[in-house]
Amino acid sequence: MSTQTLTSADASMARFDKQTTRYGSITMTLGLIFSLLGPIYLVFFSGLEITPTMIGVAFAAVAATFGVFWIVEPLTYFPILGSAAMYQAFMIGNISNKLLPAAIVAQSSINAKPGTRRGDLASVMAICGAATVHLTSLLIFVGLLGSWLVSIVPIEVIEVARIYILPSLMGAVLVQAIVAMKQLRPTIVAITLSLLMYFVVIPLVPSLALFGTALVVLFSIVLSWIVRDRKAVHTTEEA
Amino acid sequence: MYLPLAAADPASTDIWAVANSPFLWFCALGVFAVIFVQTFLYSRAAKAAAPHVDMPLREVKEAFRAGAVASIGPSLSVVLVAIALLALFGTPAVLVRIGLIGSAATETASANLAAQSMGSMLGGDSYTQQVFAVAFMAMSLSGGMWMLCTLLLTPVLKRGSKSLAKRNPAAMALIPTAALLGAFSMLTIAEIPKSNIHMMLVLISAASMAFFLFLAKVLGAKWLKEWALGFAILIAITAGYFMHTA
Repeated sequence: MSTQTLTSADASMARFDKQTTRYGSITMTLGLIFSLLGPIYLVFFSGLEITPTMIGVAFAAVAATFGVFWIVEPLTYFPILGSAAMYQAFMIGNISNKLLPAAIVAQSSINAKPGTRRGDLASVMAICGAATVHLTSLLIFVGLLGSWLVSIVPIEVIEVARIYILPSLMGAVLVQAIVAMKQLRPTIVAITLSLLMYFVVIPLVPSLALFGTALVVLFSIVLSWIVRDRKAVHTTEEA
Repeated sequence: MYLPLAAADPASTDIWAVANSPFLWFCALGVFAVIFVQTFLYSRAAKAAAPHVDMPLREVKEAFRAGAVASIGPSLSVVLVAIALLALFGTPAVLVRIGLIGSAATETASANLAAQSMGSMLGGDSYTQQVFAVAFMAMSLSGGMWMLCTLLLTPVLKRGSKSLAKRNPAAMALIPTAALLGAFSMLTIAEIPKSNIHMMLVLISAASMAFFLFLAKVLGAKWLKEWALGFAILIAITAGYFMHTA
């Protein structure tokens, strides 16, 4: 009986993987095309006298700063998101400040651990929920009412939101992540490594700043594994 | 299909005349439609798989709702920042680049780099329709590279994690937790040295979250766990407003 349940669980997760990979890569390709069509139209078909050199130089300037992140960010977030949610996250955007917090809340609200099957399904559903709220609020408050809101919201409020939104959000998200994970050792490892990276390593080797987050993620994984509570892992496996 | 816009003029600084053209609206709504379709297909696939992994439909719905509620605070803050950028990029570009795919910080920086490469700057007298179009193209190409890398890397990483899961299931259980804590510690600590107000806000936001989670536990109020993020952002940003304007 128990082997049968296991196979059926494996088979249905395999089907889920296959479906999300197919749906995910097709929709992401479509999203990519739609996001490029607009600027292509503006640049080549609207009489703005833009030369390919202008585009080349501008793209090179952007690539010099962000090119590293094109590869490093997918690598950094894959262990957290899993393959299905990758196709959602990199199209919906605002990953660390919206999608991951939503996934953490959803997992802790049904008591699912990240990296388990229930955890993966919970975070995919949480991202679906977050996407629905996000698309709707963007369409209404920016698409429909944007130009009216910009005329009535005081300029200081918008200014404060722009400058201070990240610190106002990150402190809460970190506490939420720590409480939801309930893993003392990886928490200590992660915070110690971040402090070291930010206040010791980067001042000494400034060129590492671009890779700071990715390196902390990598070493948090390695070090948490080395100092893991072997007894606790053993008991959960038996239970 | 050469369709010069009536209002298009390379040297004009009337950005909205080209930035809000119907075809750009069509493309922006296209991206929205694609994400809605993806969301629908994904939730259908998750609902089909859930009962086989000891996850009743009630929990699937619960996860959707928890994700939706938890994202209200972050979504509204993205909306506020997006509104601030309407004048620079027009509605369709803001919707796609700031609201979706990218984030305000990266996309504004990309647009600024592109404008500088043409000897201009965002919002200045030299910020013409031509500069806007080049900046929009550069940030869209850069965002496109993110998606392209995701499309190419995900299948490779998936094979790697599958073989690791077979050889070492205990490591696979630990990796997402350690990665998540590593990423958020680093992102949080990076905010602290920016200014005294930044440091205060990180502490206020962290303390508010701790308070709400404690309260939720004591009162057994599950809804408060989901709303906590929105409340914490509101408290911290209000404090930020008073410190900034004081």
